[in-house]
Amino acid sequence: MVKIGLYLCECGPNIAEAINLDKIAEQIKKDNKVAGIEQHKLLCSEDGKKFLVESIKKNEFERIVIAACSPKQHETTFMEVMSSSDLNPYMFQLVNIREQCAWMTPDKEAATSKALRSIRAAINRVRHHDALQQKEIDCNPDVIVVGGGITGIEAALRTAQKNRKVYLIEEQKLGGRLREYGLLFPTMQPAQEFLNKKITEVKNTGQIRVFENSKVKEILGFFGNFVATIENKDREEIEVNAGSVILAIGANPFIPTGLAKYGYGTFDDVYTAAEFEKMTSSNNITTKSGNPPKSVAIIHCVGRKRLGYCSKVCCTNSMKIARYIKEKLNGVKVIQFYKNLCLPDKKYDEFYKKTKEKGIEFLRFSDIEVTKEANQMMLKYKQENDNEDALPVDMVVLSTGLIPNPKTEDFAQMLNIPVDEYGFFKEEHMKLGPISTITEGVFIAGCAQGPHSINDSMVQAGAAAGKILSSLVPGRRLQLETKTSYVSETMCIGCGVCVDICAYGALTIDESKRISVVNEVLCRGCGNCASACPSGAARHRHFTTKQITQEMIEILK
Amino acid sequence: MAKNRDILVIGAGLAGIEASLLSAQAGRKVYLIEQASYFGGAAIKSEEVCPNMECATCMLAPKQSDILENKNIELMTLSKVTNISGESGNFTVKIIKRARYVSLVDCIGCGACFEPCPVSMDNEFEENMSKQKAIYLACAGALPNVPAIDMEYCLRGKKQEECTACKEACMFDAIIYDDKDEEIEIRVGAIITATGFKLNDSKQFKQYGYGEFENVFNAFEFERLRASNGPTSGIIQSRDGKEPKSIGLIHCVGRDNRGYCSQVCCMYLTKFAHYALDILPGVKVYQFYKELSIPEKGNQKFYHEVKEKGVKSIRAKEIEIIKNGNGAGLKINYQNEKAEKESVDVDMVVLAPYVEPFPGTDELGKLLGIELGNFGFFKTAEFDSVSTIRPGIFVAGCAQGPKFMQHVTTQAQAAAARALNITED
Repeated sequence: MVKIGLYLCECGPNIAEAINLDKIAEQIKKDNKVAGIEQHKLLCSEDGKKFLVESIKKNEFERIVIAACSPKQHETTFMEVMSSSDLNPYMFQLVNIREQCAWMTPDKEAATSKALRSIRAAINRVRHHDALQQKEIDCNPDVIVVGGGITGIEAALRTAQKNRKVYLIEEQKLGGRLREYGLLFPTMQPAQEFLNKKITEVKNTGQIRVFENSKVKEILGFFGNFVATIENKDREEIEVNAGSVILAIGANPFIPTGLAKYGYGTFDDVYTAAEFEKMTSSNNITTKSGNPPKSVAIIHCVGRKRLGYCSKVCCTNSMKIARYIKEKLNGVKVIQFYKNLCLPDKKYDEFYKKTKEKGIEFLRFSDIEVTKEANQMMLKYKQENDNEDALPVDMVVLSTGLIPNPKTEDFAQMLNIPVDEYGFFKEEHMKLGPISTITEGVFIAGCAQGPHSINDSMVQAGAAAGKILSSLVPGRRLQLETKTSYVSETMCIGCGVCVDICAYGALTIDESKRISVVNEVLCRGCGNCASACPSGAARHRHFTTKQITQEMIEILK
Repeated sequence: MAKNRDILVIGAGLAGIEASLLSAQAGRKVYLIEQASYFGGAAIKSEEVCPNMECATCMLAPKQSDILENKNIELMTLSKVTNISGESGNFTVKIIKRARYVSLVDCIGCGACFEPCPVSMDNEFEENMSKQKAIYLACAGALPNVPAIDMEYCLRGKKQEECTACKEACMFDAIIYDDKDEEIEIRVGAIITATGFKLNDSKQFKQYGYGEFENVFNAFEFERLRASNGPTSGIIQSRDGKEPKSIGLIHCVGRDNRGYCSQVCCMYLTKFAHYALDILPGVKVYQFYKELSIPEKGNQKFYHEVKEKGVKSIRAKEIEIIKNGNGAGLKINYQNEKAEKESVDVDMVVLAPYVEPFPGTDELGKLLGIELGNFGFFKTAEFDSVSTIRPGIFVAGCAQGPKFMQHVTTQAQAAAARALNITED
């Protein structure tokens, strides 16, 4: 019979005073299912741990049950004790008789019977534990960056190291949307100078291999071992290997064609901010009639209601455009029509103040319509105080938000990551994992994750680099989750229920065998597949049906 | 000289925790120092975080466990940097570890020492809204789960009385009355400073009546009122213990004087409205704002959902809070969109003061030899908001400026990337 050792921790007076440990020892002894029972004042103390190791070795116990505190407090502590006692750390079960019995149940007798029940359950369970082994695999520290805009460039620069190559893949030319920019806010520095410096840096960093005019055809594999097929500018297919992928495919400006009241596509001199930005880089601001405009209106929040989110950068970007116009055209009148100013940075209120000082007007509206009377564009607007008015203008710039790159869905499918309700890549966790995804080793950065300023996009790129530098260290093997799931080949009928339910993309159907297989690199041991499997083929290594049933039998007795 | 690969992280809030975990995961030794007796920073003061209304402490707890369990991370609470010398790759840092008077090794956190302590003092973590003993844990669930003795208040401190109440109550011999402050010296290759923020004490803005009227609360006070481990166990109540029938939420307190938008206030006030509407049946909630700033995907949806539950949003100027009659009630006078004078009577007012650097940021800036920007936050490079002017020293989180938690996380991760990179051979 397997030798199980039971240890009862008094936790000073915490357990000893609330639970009758002698009675428990007596009962368990009668059950005759353990080879030995020991009691100690405080098992987690240095003294207690030493006692455990010596006692386990002396008694030659093979499996251990410890009745003490919450696993959150000391499960790791005792698993280390298991290793020090030359036992597999999984041949162990911790029973929480402190938080769940001593501290919860004031009646000593009731607390004792509850603790006894839980200990009996653990003894029954530990008998069926398997020795689980920590697995390791080789991994590739190199990085694939999809998208060569400012985010992708920054991600490449931050990840490239002596022992780490980066493949930076861009559909057109390096620089992305920033190539169409004249100035950057809030510094008002020339965008191209800034960008070119970064591109030069990329070229001078020997570890970055740039693919321009190239497409990512396919990315296969998983964390630590991805293979990407790239179609380069000469339409040749090239394969590269890497351990992680950063998706930095950016966003597109919203085109307000469907919103009739803004006159976009109807009247000549109505532009989106992105179109206007292109005009500024050619340094030639004229209306269709060829004359410079005498008055320009910039309308904020165009399409915001339809998109369902604030795009964060448009208010400040509109101010930048306004200042540009004011500087270039003598005597021009520039009016900003806005609803709420979103200035979420410590530098932006100052930028707004300076913009106003340059003579740019700000007018809060609740409704607006772009019309034309005779040959003159007219802005009809309503203010919050319900006053209505009209203003003749020569040019209208529509400050529209950012929408997801149409390729987002394709990459999401390719790498098994979800998109959010707006169509951007969905992060693993809004607050704690904003650039991670549910697929390990796949990161999202910049406007592909949602609208961001250049600064925030670059921080996100740096963040993705941080995740990669810390998890894929050159020369180090990847340690895998121990408590994973597996699928019994003989029992699996290949129905695919587990494939659909797995949140981490760890399960796939092996087409040749028509059964489902678990990728242990991706499995995080949540057990969803095991509970969903109709044939009992998918199993969790540390929560087997047998272990759970044996535990429940005692609990429910 | 070979580069030192170890990393020092100053401040153990969300940013410091994340930066430490990434650095340690890369195999580096990390010193994580924290001035308070607990770690977790401002994030653990919230009951929930919006827009997904997740339990904040539950969200942080696994990360905190990872810190405590990680053998590469040495967490030092009650600690401060006193000197820094050297350069990127080879810094020498002096740290003073203040005495805790309770052994981090022997204490099991049972709390038996609290009850017998004869001292009662204000609990700072609870915004002084509840009392604690001189031997205390900041709040239920604070980590490490080991109390500290405040010798300023302990009878053995200034009064030099021979009280041994806590020591007698401790079954684990964990109380160390002769514990001493300790100065240690460490060597690291890179430093990440993540010292966080505080909310401005809005007493200077007299029109809002904070400090004058007891039912004008600041944001953290309201957050602690709603906290299930807080002074009222999560019940929102006025100072006299009554359930408020109406609440006024005031945006942008001090923004115009200060000169920046603190970014997070519109959203947390929306969350406060959600708190109130959620647990106070029939409560009237008014919010008074100048500009609504609700960036970040997901926030606009949350704002509208809460507004539809019955928040009255008023764009207001010239807000003034006065006493309403003789009771504890308040009156909010303001000018509406139509430039008309109006007023609303409420039982409670909650202010959203601007976010400012954590006290001591300036001194630390001097020690680190890095500049501060206009508003006293650590100054960072343009389009590189984690790098300071001094190589090897990086900034993460609200020490750089006010920001949402997601941006705190990304900055911490980006700062870790920099620190790992420059300490690479």
